[in-house]
Amino acid sequence: MAASVLKRCVTAALKVKRSSPSLSARRWLLSAGYTDTDVWEARERDQQNLALLANTMDRTYDRNLPVSSLTVSRFVDNISSREEVDQAEYYLYKFRHSPNCWYLRDWTIHSWIRQCLKYRARERALYTLKNKVQYGIFPDDFTFNLLIDSYIKDGDFKSACSVVEEVMLQEAFDLPSTQILSLYALGSYLATRPQLNVSEERVVGASLLISGLKQDNTVGLSAQLLGNSLLGKVEILKGIHAVFKGMPLFWARGYLGRALAVMERAAAAPGDVKLSKDTIDYVNDLLQELSSTSDTDSSGEESGDEEGKKEDALDEEDRDEQAKLPQYVSRFKELSSQLETQGKVDSASFQALVTALAQQNLAAAEKPDLEEYESRVKGWEAENRQLIQREKEMREKAEQDKQERLAARAAAQQV
Amino acid sequence: MVKKKRLRLIAEMARKIRAYRELKSRPRESQKYALDYETMRRPLTGKMLPVLAWQDVRRESRLFSLLAGMRLFGVGRLFTRKSWLEEHTEPSYWQVTKIKVDYTSENMDHGRAWGVLTYKGKQESEVKEMDKVMYHDWRLVPKHIEQQFKDFEPLPEPPVRYVHYPPLLRAMLLSQHHEAGGGAVAEEPVLPLRRDVLLNKDYFRSQEQERQRRAGTAV
Repeated sequence: MAASVLKRCVTAALKVKRSSPSLSARRWLLSAGYTDTDVWEARERDQQNLALLANTMDRTYDRNLPVSSLTVSRFVDNISSREEVDQAEYYLYKFRHSPNCWYLRDWTIHSWIRQCLKYRARERALYTLKNKVQYGIFPDDFTFNLLIDSYIKDGDFKSACSVVEEVMLQEAFDLPSTQILSLYALGSYLATRPQLNVSEERVVGASLLISGLKQDNTVGLSAQLLGNSLLGKVEILKGIHAVFKGMPLFWARGYLGRALAVMERAAAAPGDVKLSKDTIDYVNDLLQELSSTSDTDSSGEESGDEEGKKEDALDEEDRDEQAKLPQYVSRFKELSSQLETQGKVDSASFQALVTALAQQNLAAAEKPDLEEYESRVKGWEAENRQLIQREKEMREKAEQDKQERLAARAAAQQV
Repeated sequence: MVKKKRLRLIAEMARKIRAYRELKSRPRESQKYALDYETMRRPLTGKMLPVLAWQDVRRESRLFSLLAGMRLFGVGRLFTRKSWLEEHTEPSYWQVTKIKVDYTSENMDHGRAWGVLTYKGKQESEVKEMDKVMYHDWRLVPKHIEQQFKDFEPLPEPPVRYVHYPPLLRAMLLSQHHEAGGGAVAEEPVLPLRRDVLLNKDYFRSQEQERQRRAGTAV
């Protein structure tokens, strides 16, 4: 037994040395090649004095003139300590509330997140991301992956889920690496069995649904089922407007119906597509809870005017949805028994399924991302150089005009 | 004799300065369209919103409230209005192309937007400024719903109906036809209820010319 333990340790050590991820020895997902900062640090640096830049920006804002995006990007690039991270946050806020807010560059946002991660200011990055309306931080896919990965590495699944919520609000689930990472974060969060209030349920449900729509396998369908059922629960409790307000979701009623449609699709799909058992159990518990609360509501209806006010928030159509709840419960029972007889219920938990999926596909998904990132960095550098060039030209032209004006004035004075 | 009008230069200058200051102090979009949600009044004018709009104002959002939280302010995304969803079955949406946001608003909540309208399934060809941007009526079309939202089965156009001419005009037409040597007319002259003709100056001029070419009186 000692020999086998030793062998396992040796193989684990060997696996750590290789760059491909293997989850027996590591807690994180993205490989070292993805998260290292060599490519980013290897860019040409534009060394500037932060105090000078801050001074220039303050003066420009006082005079009510627009600040260029180049100044802000230089400020963020030259951050070298934790206090300067806070200063940069202030200047990002000011830039967002200036006429040039549309021109905040992608590389500035990427560099801001990188600097926050480097100087251990991750909660600042998360705060600016959550208040993206006020700070204008809209990261691209690569940056989102880095941020989610750093939270998963530390086991902080709640914050990882807040980042996934931001990705969902931007509908940025295009890259397979983003989809895998977000499903992993959501699966791990749900595996800790947290107590979710209604707004959290809405957020988690929406993220599960939109990320699950991109994947066509067991994991994707289970995520869609779970997402639809959580959203259906919020719909029945609070009405459809509480579901889609402020989120990229469809406004048609009947989320529970759509959840059952996902189960039907899984039952009818020819391949090896299954639904995981714990999602089906979760949906079962959810439906039982909903039917029991609706029974207590209808029995307690005669009491009080407060109940009347609460029910005014729900339309007649929302109440029709509530009336359909028993039908949903019976159809769910039929479909789950059908799935079991067809053998399409996977006994592994959702999190185990996602981990397996990550193990298989993440390495392959990372490679095109890295190549695209490198080419993107080069493009950013070229744009940066162009901007610097343009600024220099404009400054020379302004100098020339000033000289001409001075000369003309001197000539006029002499005459 | 009329007394010569005095050149009041300073008054002229004052008038220009007053006009310039009025131009500069126009209220911004964020001030014009700000709303107090408890009393449903606009702080700028003190006027109240119409009562039928109150439920929508509480439940839905303005276009820029949705755009503020999106990358590049949602350029290239589709947006519908709840009133269109309720009225028409065919899809109607705006695709945003250009944004000018009012940066003095707190949550980047106001501004102007331009885009391409598709009304009841028919897409227009030009970019126009979006109207009713400040109405609390807008909904984002999520990316996974876009295709499903855009397909629709167009209803067949109802056939063109025809109607008899008034009796005097009918008699005139038949007699014209007879004089032109047509003989007995097999079918009744009918008037189509839809004419695909743009009624402008050129059309009337061409009609006039054609009428002059024909000689003789009517009956």
